[in-house]
Amino acid sequence: MQKRRDVLKLAAGTAAASFLPKKLYAQTGTKKLSILTWNIIDMEPLFKQWFATFQSQNPGVEIEWLDKKGPELPAFYQTQLAAGTPPDIVDIQGGLGLEWAGQGALLDLTPMLDKEPAVRARFNPEYLANWVFEGKNYLIPFYVSKSLLFYNKPLFKAAGIDYAPKSLDDILSYAKAVSGADRTGFLTLNFDWLYWPLFRMQGVDLLTPDLKKPTFNTPAGIETADKLAKATADGSINKISWTGRWVEPNGAFAAGNVGMMHAHSSAYFFVKTQGSWITPETIGIAEVPGYWSTPNSHGYAISKGARNPELAWAFLKFATEKSQAMDFARGRTLTTANAEVDKDFLAELDKNDPTAAAVLRTQIEHTDKLTGNWRLSDDSAVKNIVWAEMQNIFLGRRDAKTALADAEKKVERELRRT
Amino acid sequence: MRRRSHILRHLVMALVCALMLIPFYWVAKTAVTNENIYAYPPRILPLKPHLYNFVDVWYLIPFARYFANSVIVSLIAVAGNIVFNAAAGYALTKNFAGKRIVVLLFLSCMLIPFQATIIPAYLVSARLGVLNSYLGLALPLLSTIVCIFVFKAAFEAIPASLQQAARIDGLGELRILFRIMLPLAKPAIATNIILSFIWSWNAFLWPLIITRDVTMQTLPLGLARFLAYVEDTTGALYAFVCMVLLPGIIVFLMAQKEFIRGLTSGATKG
Amino acid sequence: MNTAPPQRAGVAGSADAVAPPVRAADWYRRKRTREAMLVACFLLPSLMIFFLYRILPLGWNVILSFEYWSPLKAARFAGLDNYAEMFLEDDVFWQALTNTLIFILASPIAILLALAVALAVNSDLKGAAIYRTIIFLSYPLMSVAVGIVWRWLYDERGGFINFVLRGTGLIKEPIPFLQSFGWALPSVILADIWQVVGFYMIILLTGLQSIPQHLYEAARIDGAPASARFLRITLPMLRPSLFICAVIGILNSFTAFDLVYVMTGGGPAHATELLVTHIYNMGFGETRFDYAAALTVVQFTLLVILTFLANRAVGGNAGSVESA
Repeated sequence: MQKRRDVLKLAAGTAAASFLPKKLYAQTGTKKLSILTWNIIDMEPLFKQWFATFQSQNPGVEIEWLDKKGPELPAFYQTQLAAGTPPDIVDIQGGLGLEWAGQGALLDLTPMLDKEPAVRARFNPEYLANWVFEGKNYLIPFYVSKSLLFYNKPLFKAAGIDYAPKSLDDILSYAKAVSGADRTGFLTLNFDWLYWPLFRMQGVDLLTPDLKKPTFNTPAGIETADKLAKATADGSINKISWTGRWVEPNGAFAAGNVGMMHAHSSAYFFVKTQGSWITPETIGIAEVPGYWSTPNSHGYAISKGARNPELAWAFLKFATEKSQAMDFARGRTLTTANAEVDKDFLAELDKNDPTAAAVLRTQIEHTDKLTGNWRLSDDSAVKNIVWAEMQNIFLGRRDAKTALADAEKKVERELRRT
Repeated sequence: MRRRSHILRHLVMALVCALMLIPFYWVAKTAVTNENIYAYPPRILPLKPHLYNFVDVWYLIPFARYFANSVIVSLIAVAGNIVFNAAAGYALTKNFAGKRIVVLLFLSCMLIPFQATIIPAYLVSARLGVLNSYLGLALPLLSTIVCIFVFKAAFEAIPASLQQAARIDGLGELRILFRIMLPLAKPAIATNIILSFIWSWNAFLWPLIITRDVTMQTLPLGLARFLAYVEDTTGALYAFVCMVLLPGIIVFLMAQKEFIRGLTSGATKG
Repeated sequence: MNTAPPQRAGVAGSADAVAPPVRAADWYRRKRTREAMLVACFLLPSLMIFFLYRILPLGWNVILSFEYWSPLKAARFAGLDNYAEMFLEDDVFWQALTNTLIFILASPIAILLALAVALAVNSDLKGAAIYRTIIFLSYPLMSVAVGIVWRWLYDERGGFINFVLRGTGLIKEPIPFLQSFGWALPSVILADIWQVVGFYMIILLTGLQSIPQHLYEAARIDGAPASARFLRITLPMLRPSLFICAVIGILNSFTAFDLVYVMTGGGPAHATELLVTHIYNMGFGETRFDYAAALTVVQFTLLVILTFLANRAVGGNAGSVESA
């Protein structure tokens, strides 16, 4: 009997108040700001400093900072949306922001930008335009990057090449010249639409300008896909291009057996730590032929469910101001799309690390030639459809003609669905 | 004859273990060298091993805090699992009306992936008011069906005569469970401890969803935080993973002695 | 101390607690009620947890599957639209379904392997504890790490498997395991077996340890050879554990999520897509929680059927041993 009671007591005790939550998050305070960022916890000292400054300018404001890594951030944000407690400010990468805007999760920032032209004028207009969905601007740039070509100069030299490629045919013929034994000639990152410049430089676009119809199933599209498939089959293109994401392609290029890699600027800093061959003399840096590139940028958005949108907007203005943006660019060695900051920062970097400066300079030039940034609310669905068929082609399961025709049909259906 | 079969068995086991250890070796080697794993040909022996990664793990994240949180949550989960699973497993050895339905219900409860329950599970936790708390972290893991069936199987293997004798001696069901059945089901208890510990220790997505305070986060969540600081992610990742792995191994080794009883020793002392 | 008569073993404070002397038939009826109460109390905590975190979410998914919904849009009745899309238009669904079934059907290989290992390390073999530990070692390892190291093992150029196969002259050209449509799924399955074999092993070990030794002693006295002892005693007594392993094998088709996600992301071209990765992509990737819910319901139904079949295969009653 006694024992039984003990057991019951134990069970009740476990469930009891000792482990109840410290705070409930159905916030009611009007002066609370919660900010969700995308994997930049290493910037904690700077952020803490920003918060302190912002709080001294806006007394009584309480700031909650959350940081999640890419793969989990959407799950976290969607759950918070469903619970009705979205973070006021959210840092979103790539096309996801437009999907969430289409879902009705984000606040239209156009009226604020219209009211304060000085804020709008801070940003590179093309990067800012990345996040215009149905005529409304939902995000402002936080930090930006786009793809470029890295190449292994010693391997190029050994193959008798001393120029960066100027066309897809150049890329493929150089790749073939470099490849052999355990060397491959070319590698690309593929997540988001990072492989798309390969098509765009051949004049192939995904959709019509009004985003209503697919335009990739053309003779030029088929020819491009065919070429890439053939080059993959003969070993010119490293197969990791079509399956790897981040660690694998960068690791492979850093290992020194790959001629070229198409990736965005952050890849440089990753590769540099892993490849002992990489020095300012040996690493080649070039724009993608035709200056086409796919952006891979981060933007700030305000949740529509934000409890205090004015305060959130005030913070965004604060965080993208020259002095803050400059500190951030320095801390992370990147470009911010704040035109003035980028110019000053690159001038500074030229003195300290000219190679990094050369890499970053590509990120703010030719921004009129961005591709792979279609303003769709179902970008990931379209992306998955096209990508699956591309993999089928590149890895030799299907021929380009039938696979692209299939992809076209499925994309049409997807565009009709929304 | 017996010796020959032993040598053969040793050979086979050594081979299996070697195969199991190859990936492990690479994890450990990369953790202490930061070598690019995509280098070719692969370097078999580590060159200039160092422990910087492990030191970094300690300093770059609030390791002690995360560790303590993980320990607390895992202890709650392990305690819950032993008590609740043993009780449920014992109940399932009884004959009662609707048993088939309960068994089916339990089994089918397992068959829904966590990924599909994130949103409703969060909403339920919010309703219960356990967001951002130890209890909220442990609650979904407090009872696990696989372990209920482990107990059920162990109890069923105990001769029914023992229970009947206990009943004739006038013992109540609770005492039969705790005095007779559980002591004879030590391997099942050990398995429960090991598995529920590992599951709650390694849980990643649920803690990520349900905690908002950094001070409530568990060790696996430190991974993202840690990787954000280091450029060269693979070696650092592996060092982190080794440190997360260690407590699981220790729990296993401690519970192991319940699996040691060889075929030669006597078992059920009636 | 406990001085209560055995019939008071029910819930404290229930009406039965003050039972007056009654006729035998009544006594038996009450004893049955008491036992039912006891069973209910024992099951209650677990049932509560499963109700909150399994059954309610399942119901949520079932309802959602007949609606159009996302976190900010009011639900609209969709009838069977989600299901129609899945069965008639979604090729990925069919591919994921096939892959999931293959994944599950491969689990007996791992279980047999684990059984052999468990039998070996459950003996008086010297060093059995070391073997046991090494084989278990991979299970508590975080799946992210398992995925990344296996990705590298399988790599076409720098990977260890190709390095060994080419070094020993078994193959001339490297095999692009994860980049080939034929190899990708088996490769992922092998990595998964590597990770879960230790899990199966300890379930089977628990089962082996629970077998009463006197059965073996009696058989030995009767002069039964080792093979007969295995077939007549070990295997039948191990049935519940084998059933648990079968269920784990079925569950593994979604608990392997992290591994598949890290190793291939379901690719190339959905060659390693499982239903669970498809569900996740649809829900959190494409914000189509309604459609993901329909997928969840279909996967659930499929797995229930498979569990039922597994139950039948081990003789019903969730693998119970019919003991006297």
